[in-house]
Amino acid sequence: MRLTRRELLLGGTAAAALGAVGVYELVDRLTEAPTRHFGEGRAPEQHLLDGLRIADDNGVEIVVPTLHHQMVTATVGSRPGLEEQASLERVLRHLEDEHPGTPDGLAVTAAWGLPYFRRHVAGAAERHLPVDRRASTSGRPRRALLDAIRFPSDPDDVLLEDNDVAFLLRSDNLEHIQEGAKAIFDAMDGVLEMTSIRKGFAGGGFDGGPGLPKQLATAAGVPGADLIPDGAELFLGFTSTQKHALGPPRIVNFETLGLVDLGPDSYFHGGTHMHLSHVFEDLEAWYLNFDFAERVDTTFRPRLEVEPGTKTVPQPPDQAASSGDVQSDFRRFGAIGHSSSMQSTSRLQADVMGADGTLYRKGTAVPQRADFNTLDNPFFWSSRPRHDLMAEGPAAGLHFVVFNPSSDDFHRNRLAMDGVLPDGTKVGLKPRARGQGLNSVLQTTHRQNFLVPPRSHRSFPLVEMAA
Amino acid sequence: MLGWKVIAVAALALAVSAGLTACADDEPAPAAKTAAAPPACPASWKPGWQQLANRVKAPVYCPAWMPSPLDGDMKGPTKNGVSVEPDRSWLASFLWHEPPAQDVHVNFRAYPGRTVIPRCEDTQVVSGKVRHRDIPCFSDAQPPRRIGRFTVTPYTVNQGVDQWHVLYLWRERRSIYTVSQHVAKPTTYRQVVANLDRMMRGLVRIEPTV
Repeated sequence: MRLTRRELLLGGTAAAALGAVGVYELVDRLTEAPTRHFGEGRAPEQHLLDGLRIADDNGVEIVVPTLHHQMVTATVGSRPGLEEQASLERVLRHLEDEHPGTPDGLAVTAAWGLPYFRRHVAGAAERHLPVDRRASTSGRPRRALLDAIRFPSDPDDVLLEDNDVAFLLRSDNLEHIQEGAKAIFDAMDGVLEMTSIRKGFAGGGFDGGPGLPKQLATAAGVPGADLIPDGAELFLGFTSTQKHALGPPRIVNFETLGLVDLGPDSYFHGGTHMHLSHVFEDLEAWYLNFDFAERVDTTFRPRLEVEPGTKTVPQPPDQAASSGDVQSDFRRFGAIGHSSSMQSTSRLQADVMGADGTLYRKGTAVPQRADFNTLDNPFFWSSRPRHDLMAEGPAAGLHFVVFNPSSDDFHRNRLAMDGVLPDGTKVGLKPRARGQGLNSVLQTTHRQNFLVPPRSHRSFPLVEMAA
Repeated sequence: MLGWKVIAVAALALAVSAGLTACADDEPAPAAKTAAAPPACPASWKPGWQQLANRVKAPVYCPAWMPSPLDGDMKGPTKNGVSVEPDRSWLASFLWHEPPAQDVHVNFRAYPGRTVIPRCEDTQVVSGKVRHRDIPCFSDAQPPRRIGRFTVTPYTVNQGVDQWHVLYLWRERRSIYTVSQHVAKPTTYRQVVANLDRMMRGLVRIEPTV
C-alpha cells in the first residue's frame, strides 16, 4: 500500500493538524485493536497505563504498547490562576469519565517543563520542587527536574526546548486521541498555545505479520523500509518493551527509591520525571552496514549468542551488566552494547526496599519507556517550522519518551549509552563511533525534561500555592 | 542563499531518479528488444568480457543491460577498473559519480573453483589502537530467489568495495559469482533490487576461447 502525496502532507494550522491523522491513519487500516478490559481504575500516578497486554516472543514476556501515541506541547499564554487550573482539571476528568484508563480507552499524561515553573509559579516552585539527593552536593542542591543537556553523541545543533507543558495521549483508538487532544485545547483556548504536535505508533506485529514499523515505513517510502524485519516492534528491528527491561509500575515515582527529597508537603508524591526527545533513524545505514551479529553486539552486548533473525533478546535481571562488564567488553572487542552500557545505571545495583513496600531486587530495570515510532519530520506540526527545521516528506524516527525518578537519573543513563559510566570512567569510543553501532545511526534533533505531577496536581501545578 | 541550492540539488536528484526509473522500467535493454529474444552481450562490450574470460580461464557473465548512466564496456566512460588476483578471482567495477554525493556503482565478481564465502579483514581504530577482525565478505543472507535461470542469494551487508551494496550471489560449477549495486542517492534500495533483477535476467555466459 502506497500513500498519496495528499496523505503525507502536513496540516497547516494547529487545529487542523490536531484533527489530522495523515500517514498514521494506516495504523487502523493495518491492525485491529485488541479488546482489552483489564481494569478501569485510575492510579494516583499519571504515567501509569492500566491493562497493558503481555505477549510472548522467543520465550520472553513483552509488554504490548498502545498502537497510537501523540504528544502535544504548548506554552502557557498568560499567568494562570485558579480558574484556569479548574478548567483544565475539568476537561481531564471529563475525558476520564468518557474513557477507561486502558489501551482501548485513553490515557492522558500532563507533564510540565521548567519554563512553566520559572515563569508562572516561581516562588512555590522554589519551595516544592523535589530535590535529587543523589545529584546534590553539600551546599549545592539539584532539583529532580533539570534543564535538558546535550550528550556527547548529540549533534551540536540539538534544540533544547522550552515548552511549558506536554500532553502525552496514548490509546489503541486513534479517535480517542483526537477527541482528547481537541477537548483539551478547545477548553484551554487562549490559555495554552500549541507549539508542536508529534504523532506515532508502536508494535502491531506481536501476533504475526509484518508489523506496523515495516508496513508504515514501506507505505511512506522511507529509505531502507524494505530491510526492516517482519514483526519488528521498532524500526531498528529489536523489541524494546520486554518486561524485564522496563521498570515495574511505581519504581519511577519520586518517592519510591529514595533518590528524591519531596520537600515539606510532599506535593509531588506519586509524580515522576519525563524526558522527551526526537531522534532520526538512518535505516539504510543500520541494515546495510551492520550485519545481524553486529547489530546484536552493539544493541545488546558484544559477542552475545543470538539465533539469527531473533527480535526479542532476553535481558533478565540476573544478567544485567555492570560498569566493569562494559569496560571489559570494550577492551576485548572495541565495542559496547547499547543496553549493557546503560544497565550499569538503569538497573538496580543492589536490592532496594521501596517506599511503596515492594522489595526491588538487584538487576531490576528502573526507567519506564513510552517511546514510539514516528514518520514525523521532525514533528507532525510546529508553530515555529523554521526553528524546528520542519521538512516535507516522512522520515523514520523515534519520539523518545521515558520516565525516570529524576533528570539526573535520565542523564546518567544517557551518558552511559555514550560510554560515560556512572563512576566517571569513559570508554575510549568516539561519540558516534561504529563500536557504538546504534549511536552511529541515530541523530537527535530536540530534547526537553518535564515533571509529571501526580494526578491530583496535574493541572497547572502549584498555582493554588502561588495564588 | 541556501534555498536555490536545495532546489537545484532536489531537481538534479529528481532528474537522475526519473532517469534511472525510466531506464530500469521503461527503456528496452540494448540487447533485449523483445521479451522473446534471448539476451545478448552488446557487441561493443563483448571484447572486454571475452578478454576477462580468457585471462581467468573460466566463464564470465556479460550484462546485457546496466542501470543508466552505466554501460558494461570495460573501456567505456564508466569503467572503474578490472582486477584479477593470483587465485583467478576477479572484480569488474563500473561507476558514475556526480558530486557531491551521488553514485551509480555496480560490481561484478567471481571466485573460480571456490564455493565458500570469502573472508574480509575489517580494520577499525579504537582508542588509537588498530583492530583487525576477520569477517565474511558477504553477510545477512536473505531467502534465495529464482531469477531467470539463476538461483541467487541476496546479501545485504557486504564489505570492501561492495560495502553499502546489495549483492546477489550464485554458485555454478563449483564457483561463486556475484553482482552488486550501491544503495546511494539517487538509487533507493527498492530500485537497486529491481536493477539487480534486471541485470540477472540479462546475463550472457562468455566461455574462454583460449
